[in-house]
Amino acid sequence: MTSFLGFVEGPLWAVAAAVFVAGAAWRIVGLLAIGRKPDISPPRASAALGFIKANLRHFYPRQLFLGRTFVHLLGGYGFHVGLFVLLLFAAPHVAFIKDRILGFGWPSLPRAGFIVAAEFAFAGLILLWVRRISDPVMRRITDRDDHVGSWLTFLVMLTGCMALGQSHEFLRASHMLLVDLWLIYFPFSRLMHAFTFVLSRGFTGATYGRRGMTP
Amino acid sequence: MTAKTADAQAAIDKFIAATDSAAAAYFDACVHCGECAEACHFYLASGDAKFTPTYKLRPMVRAYRRHKAPFSGLKRMFGLAPPEVTGEELETWAELVYDSCNMCGRCTLVCPMGIDIAGTIAKMREGFVAAGLAPDGLVLSEKNALETGSPMRVRLQALKAQIAHQETETGIPITLDKKGADYMVILSSMEIMGYAETIGALARIFKHAGIDWTISSKCFEATNVGVQIGSSETARELVSRVVDAAEELGVKYVISPECGHAYGALRWSGPNLIGRPYAFEVVHIIELLDQLRREGRLRLKGKSNEAITLHDPCQIGRRGGLIGEPRRLIHHVSDGFRELDGAGITNLCCGGGGGVSANPRAHDLQEAAFACKKAQIDKLGSLDAIVIPCANCRTVFEDGMDAYDMELETIGLSELVAGQLDDASSRGEGSRD
Amino acid sequence: MIIRYRVCRRPFARVAGRRNWPVNVCRSVLRARPLAIALATLAVLSLSPAKGLAGTGMAPTHASRPSWPVVREVARPGNALGKESFSDVWRGVRAGRAFKLSDPGLGTGVLVRSGGQDWRNRHLLLVRRYGGVLILLALGAVASFFVFRGRVRIEGGRSGRTIARFNQAERLIHWFVAGVFILLALSGLILLFGRVVIADWLGKAGFGVVVSAMMQTHNLFGPIFIVGILAMAVVYLKDNLPEASDLTWLVRGGPFFIGHLPAGKNNAGEKAWFWIAVLGGGVLSVSGLALEFPWIVAELRQWQLANLAHGIAAVAVIAVAIGHIYLGTVGVEGALDGMVTGRADEAWARQHHDLWLGEMSADAGPDAERPERPLAPPRTADTPAE
Repeated sequence: MTSFLGFVEGPLWAVAAAVFVAGAAWRIVGLLAIGRKPDISPPRASAALGFIKANLRHFYPRQLFLGRTFVHLLGGYGFHVGLFVLLLFAAPHVAFIKDRILGFGWPSLPRAGFIVAAEFAFAGLILLWVRRISDPVMRRITDRDDHVGSWLTFLVMLTGCMALGQSHEFLRASHMLLVDLWLIYFPFSRLMHAFTFVLSRGFTGATYGRRGMTP
Repeated sequence: MTAKTADAQAAIDKFIAATDSAAAAYFDACVHCGECAEACHFYLASGDAKFTPTYKLRPMVRAYRRHKAPFSGLKRMFGLAPPEVTGEELETWAELVYDSCNMCGRCTLVCPMGIDIAGTIAKMREGFVAAGLAPDGLVLSEKNALETGSPMRVRLQALKAQIAHQETETGIPITLDKKGADYMVILSSMEIMGYAETIGALARIFKHAGIDWTISSKCFEATNVGVQIGSSETARELVSRVVDAAEELGVKYVISPECGHAYGALRWSGPNLIGRPYAFEVVHIIELLDQLRREGRLRLKGKSNEAITLHDPCQIGRRGGLIGEPRRLIHHVSDGFRELDGAGITNLCCGGGGGVSANPRAHDLQEAAFACKKAQIDKLGSLDAIVIPCANCRTVFEDGMDAYDMELETIGLSELVAGQLDDASSRGEGSRD
Repeated sequence: MIIRYRVCRRPFARVAGRRNWPVNVCRSVLRARPLAIALATLAVLSLSPAKGLAGTGMAPTHASRPSWPVVREVARPGNALGKESFSDVWRGVRAGRAFKLSDPGLGTGVLVRSGGQDWRNRHLLLVRRYGGVLILLALGAVASFFVFRGRVRIEGGRSGRTIARFNQAERLIHWFVAGVFILLALSGLILLFGRVVIADWLGKAGFGVVVSAMMQTHNLFGPIFIVGILAMAVVYLKDNLPEASDLTWLVRGGPFFIGHLPAGKNNAGEKAWFWIAVLGGGVLSVSGLALEFPWIVAELRQWQLANLAHGIAAVAVIAVAIGHIYLGTVGVEGALDGMVTGRADEAWARQHHDLWLGEMSADAGPDAERPERPLAPPRTADTPAE
């Protein structure tokens, strides 16, 4: 048992973290390196400001669209907020970050807070995936990457949930194994939207920002 | 099956060439959430998931993922890259890309990732043109524009006839080719043939406000079929004609008329197409009118109290940024204005822009999509007129209202303003020598 | 009734004619084979001794509550408390006798609560033994239904035309609750039956890991289920209220009827499932909360009741769920479409829910899914101008 845990928290973790960091960086740099022709039309306003404005504006849909997009809004934010809260503030994670990544930690949530955040995260993820298989639009545009990404994330969270008792090394190790696999899968998949969304919102914001508006 | 075989490789090459950092970021940020469909009037009217905006981009996305994306080489090696785009796929997609997209930009608004799907469709059309898959109607318009300057073959004779008519109507002479004038006006063929009263309205407003203006006989067409069909070469050629005419006359400003894409084509894309800045500034007629209003140069004989509303053309409002200006002008001249539900930046497209109205193959689909617009207007109750600052939108509205048995007058913004001007106090400039 | 001579999936249909009553009696018995097998299994299982538990020390004992001992005046050996013997004292302890405490602050004077053993016996019998039997019966019933009745095909094949059956809210809620339910059911079943079914196979250490994992999963997803089942109750209520056609459907044999039975959007069987799921789910929710947050419960007895209720409701709902899942996927052709795509084939609707199909055709309005889809289609060349 110790060797399995030692493996997934040792060499495999190192490999996974390296692939994650290097892969994500390579992909972002690669995107930017493709380049863009400079716009020589006289601007009406600042493109840089537009970059930031669009990034902020697209966090919430315009009033008119709210009725048709609120399932995604609820599920999406439930999942993402729940996930970030539990990722950054659950005690075992803070301990891991302190020991393995940053060298320092911060105050963590009580166990009940951890559980509630996890419940929101699960509810949101399940709702979104269930929509993906039952909504005609999403059925038309979904591909294998979407399913693999959703399920891998779900399994990471599920093994984490199983390890909540903190009483069996095997459960902690299985969670870590799935985390490592997730980290390795990440840079080659749609999960990269976690980073690329800043660029996509930003490019649109910059293009139209210099025209004086934020779409 | 079409008689000609689609040249898939030419399309793929164009897709790859047209994919810059922005497009690549868009393709890598899409999480297939489908929110874009909820904003697209073609999807809303038909309920058919194939009209999902991100789905329309699929061939270009596939070409990118196979050839240009980071890690694409690695993925190809392991057979994990998408299959090569085929001619059949392109033929199927031609309907989606040309018939069911106005490049209206509503999808861009709603996308949580801020992906500019509308702008990317424009890039994608380059590939379809290269593959020979542009719709016949647009190909013909392009040919007409390149040969005669106008997509509807409206030549100088026709313009002169309409101008003469308007001079008689308004009693104001309109000078062509006036060297050194401050403003040069360009017009859309639709305006010239269908709504020539706009020319008269402009004449009245400019005389009233003391604007020194002219029209070039060498180039008076504002529309740019190249932008709509997806051909940079054509777009460049058409823009250069306007630029050359304006620079030859030495005008300070070129006025882009009440037309959708013309402003964007000339103001924003133009300098990038011809590779240099202009020797003049481009101003939209609405911008100019609002400036005149601000400067107090539009004195009215009173306000109209007809019940009116405003349709924000996509390329002027949402894609052009001119949302406050038309409203300020309307409030200046009217007491009976009511807003459509969802007007402004989220306004519904009329369904005819982006080349769709010039594409007879898309007629039925366009008419079906107009149902969304009808529903939006019906919510307001009884109206006298709808102000539509775009000649193409006006035509689409008139056809649509005919199909749906709606009784509503359409009026251009310049017409509305001119109708309330106190002509007695005009400054009287811009007359024939 | 039509006599069918060709080989078909209904070999024991009733034969017309009063003189054929012996044939029909025999055929009814043969038609009820699955039911007979199920009942026989139940009889066999309940009458046999609890062999599985024998020797493990977990078999229910019979005399769990011995009677209060009689204290006699005669001195006994040991003279532990004066007039009482050791054995009397320990009998008293086992019976739940309360002793006087030297310090009242020490808590209760009852040393052994025999009620706990009662609860445990009931739990083992009602929930684990009978519940296990019930689930096996459900599996058996489904299997035999498939073997004897086969897949219920759409008569005449699919029509190719579809009508809107379940809107997006209904589909989302259904699959959300279904997913969470499966997670809870699987983890719950392992918690309940793991010790007898898989513990030997995994070994003590392995089983310990599994059961710890399952308990964490079960506890985390429980509250999510509560939200889901409440939403489900709200969204599905209007289509699951009793109607006249339900009585007919039930009286005429329901799922065992061979032929057409009129039914609305949901037939009586489906409505029964809704109510079992919602009410059972409600019991599971309330009892589950008491189990997960035991401090909200005032006394041990309520906690015991909660445990029993949770177990009984769980096995009951799981047993019916097995039937529901079977019918909705493999069992009835065309049933799954409605819940995945939102649209169902017209021929399927005519066969199973003809009253509902009639209502839908009469009210040929826009899709319930997209209320703002415009109502008026464009005037075509065929429509005369007004």
